[in-house]
Amino acid sequence: MNCEEIEELAAAYALGALPPETEGEVEEHLQGCSRHPEIADLRAVAASLAWAAEEREPPAALKTRLMSAIREGDTPAAKSERGARPVAAAGFWRRMFSPPVAPYAVAAALALVVAALIGWNVSLQLEDGGGGVSVHTLAGSGGAQGRILYIADERLGVMTVAGLDSLDVDLTYQVWTLSDGVATGIGTFNTSEGGEAAASIEVDLTGADSVAITVEPAGGSPQPTSAPVLQADI
Amino acid sequence: MELLYDRMGRQAFGLAYRILGDGASAEDVVQEAFMSLWRQAERLDPSRGRVSSLLMTLVHHKAVDLVRSRKGLSFGQPSLDSVLEQGVPDVAEGVAEDQGRQAVRRALESLPPEQRAPIEMAYFEGMTHVEIADSLGVPLGTVKSRLRLGLDKLRRELKMEAHR
Repeated sequence: MNCEEIEELAAAYALGALPPETEGEVEEHLQGCSRHPEIADLRAVAASLAWAAEEREPPAALKTRLMSAIREGDTPAAKSERGARPVAAAGFWRRMFSPPVAPYAVAAALALVVAALIGWNVSLQLEDGGGGVSVHTLAGSGGAQGRILYIADERLGVMTVAGLDSLDVDLTYQVWTLSDGVATGIGTFNTSEGGEAAASIEVDLTGADSVAITVEPAGGSPQPTSAPVLQADI
Repeated sequence: MELLYDRMGRQAFGLAYRILGDGASAEDVVQEAFMSLWRQAERLDPSRGRVSSLLMTLVHHKAVDLVRSRKGLSFGQPSLDSVLEQGVPDVAEGVAEDQGRQAVRRALESLPPEQRAPIEMAYFEGMTHVEIADSLGVPLGTVKSRLRLGLDKLRRELKMEAHR
């Protein structure tokens, strides 16, 4: 296949509208030819068509089924060789008073994020933190430390902490955002016996001055009742 | 994964439903797409596109594959490897999700019908360019050029939206 033929087929290729054998020939050509940079653009345009489909509410049973499939241990990536250490955390933060969540469910929510952290480490160095991704260091007394990786575009934060005390069952760690002296509770978590935790969080940090973690009675408090054990300036 | 589902489940299900036309198959496809993402989580590279875009691409591939297998066409399993490898480039800064929905719909509506129809047949019905030509009763060359003109116009419209 020559470059002219590729150009002719570019749009159909981008839309996935070629029969497999033709598609294979196009891909073969593209691997050895750098004269078709616009094909990446066409693929992006084609992929964006996904957003043109009307949203539709899936049956509630689908979520239940999906979550239990994940919980039942379909090779959680977090447990595999590259996936860092198994994560012991509790509670999706935005559900402040949520009951304890099964470890696998948490691992499931975190798998992407743990993986992403590995990837982001690389891309952050390459791109100087561009793309709306920022890293905030949580500092505290003693050996406690942590960090929050925040993706502004996705309103998604990922927190990892270590060196915290393991709390009694009637206590919990609670996370807050502080803006102009006003604390907003985001959620609660507990650590592993080794004092580590990781969690993902849907939060908008625009306008927040800092993120703080305090020790509160189990279930969380409406407002902080103790001094922060960890804090990060945003 | 639960957060991703809460945020993206409706769009993913909407896309699968549009392509497949029935809820049961759409559910299967959405579940498979999430499971693929979950199994491959450690291989994801965020610099190659948003996770949400990748998810939608997986839903699309799987749904189209199912449509084609119903027609007795064996197109083989959509290659997750190739999706992961190539990534899903963002169409333009600022075009995604909430704003993106509106922008993409407006852009699609701005196309002349003779360009919009073949694009929708390809993307939402999983038809090949040959099938589209047969179905519309026009030469294959015409379909090729209309697909190209349409995508180029969409690209321009989306870039304009992004800078609006």
